[in-house]
Amino acid sequence: MPVSSPVSSKQRQFDALVRSHSGDLFRYAYWLCGEEALAQDLVQETFLRAWRSLDALRDSAAAKAWLITILRRERARLYERKTPTLVDVDDVDVADGRESLTPDGEGESALVRSAMLKLEAKYREPLLMQVLGGFSCEEIARELNVSNAAVMTQLFRARQKLKAMLGGEPIEAQVYELR
Amino acid sequence: MNCVEFRRQLAVDPQTAVVAFVQHRAECPGCADAAARALAFEHDLACVLRVAPPPRLAETILLAQATSERRKRASLRRYSVLAAAAMLALAIGVVGMRAEAEPLSAQVVAHYEGEPEALRAAEPVEPAHVVQTFAARGVVLKHVPDGIDFAEPCPIGTHRSVHVVMPTTDGAVTVFYIADVAASRVEDFARDGLLGRSLPVAGGTLILLAKTRSQFDRIGGLWTAAIAG
Repeated sequence: MPVSSPVSSKQRQFDALVRSHSGDLFRYAYWLCGEEALAQDLVQETFLRAWRSLDALRDSAAAKAWLITILRRERARLYERKTPTLVDVDDVDVADGRESLTPDGEGESALVRSAMLKLEAKYREPLLMQVLGGFSCEEIARELNVSNAAVMTQLFRARQKLKAMLGGEPIEAQVYELR
Repeated sequence: MNCVEFRRQLAVDPQTAVVAFVQHRAECPGCADAAARALAFEHDLACVLRVAPPPRLAETILLAQATSERRKRASLRRYSVLAAAAMLALAIGVVGMRAEAEPLSAQVVAHYEGEPEALRAAEPVEPAHVVQTFAARGVVLKHVPDGIDFAEPCPIGTHRSVHVVMPTTDGAVTVFYIADVAASRVEDFARDGLLGRSLPVAGGTLILLAKTRSQFDRIGGLWTAAIAG
């Protein structure tokens, strides 16, 4: 009689979590640290830690936010342990061609990538959470432990700086489009 | 909501569904155009940010988790074995301590019962052997009493002791000398059908065992003289 190894419900829950969220988490980590290998390590460590405290996840709808919290802590730990090699963003090969805006938009895509990596972390992170994670201002504020108003300001400035880097036009006119 | 407020909100969250924002967009063609451009930019930005993860990322993570779990279980098994060994050592220690806590009389009776061949010895032991046996326990005899059929440095618990058998007209008397435990007084006892007496001799304890106490005074005196002088 064939014997099948029983898979615990915890393991099934974990498998589903990994398959649903590893891609998003990788993207988030990638744009946080700007390095693919480091991002992959971070995501793996995040999930290993998540496995150990999976019982703490009560609401599966909150899984993504929970995982991002773990990932941010892991990243902070990583930076405590060692000083990562700093790469000048101008040296980062952003035109890797994996994604493009449109078939003829690879050049534009590379510019946006470069601009994103040049953005200061305090602006980049809430923008990533909003655009990649789909989080509301309130959720971002909770995650970053800052006020709602601070998040709104950071998001406003993030787009302001991004557009300024891309277009080079006067910031106010660019953002408000009131020229 | 006026145009400036709308444009500011547009820069904070272009996809917001706030009623005032949606209403202004419907009423102001300039802002509606700005919103359309902002949404196009957001779409482009989202496309750029959506980098492809490494192939088989999920499988790699699940493999790492499975490996980590296996290691954890293996080390748990190792620790269990170590813990069991520690418990065993502790148990042996406790048993040993309990044995130590047993009175000397009980320990010598147990030894007596475990070594019946000592009573079957029928040939007198050479005095030199008796001297040597006591010397092995750090005891220098002043002289060797007569009539010893058995003398060996048998251990009682962890103590330095000597086991002697002396035949008498009232049966054999077994004598133990425990060199490193000093009895505080002379004491008679009975245990497991045997009669006994323990007495302090030269910083140690002399214990006599027999079916009757009739020879205890005599033999006790002999050994007191032989050991203490």
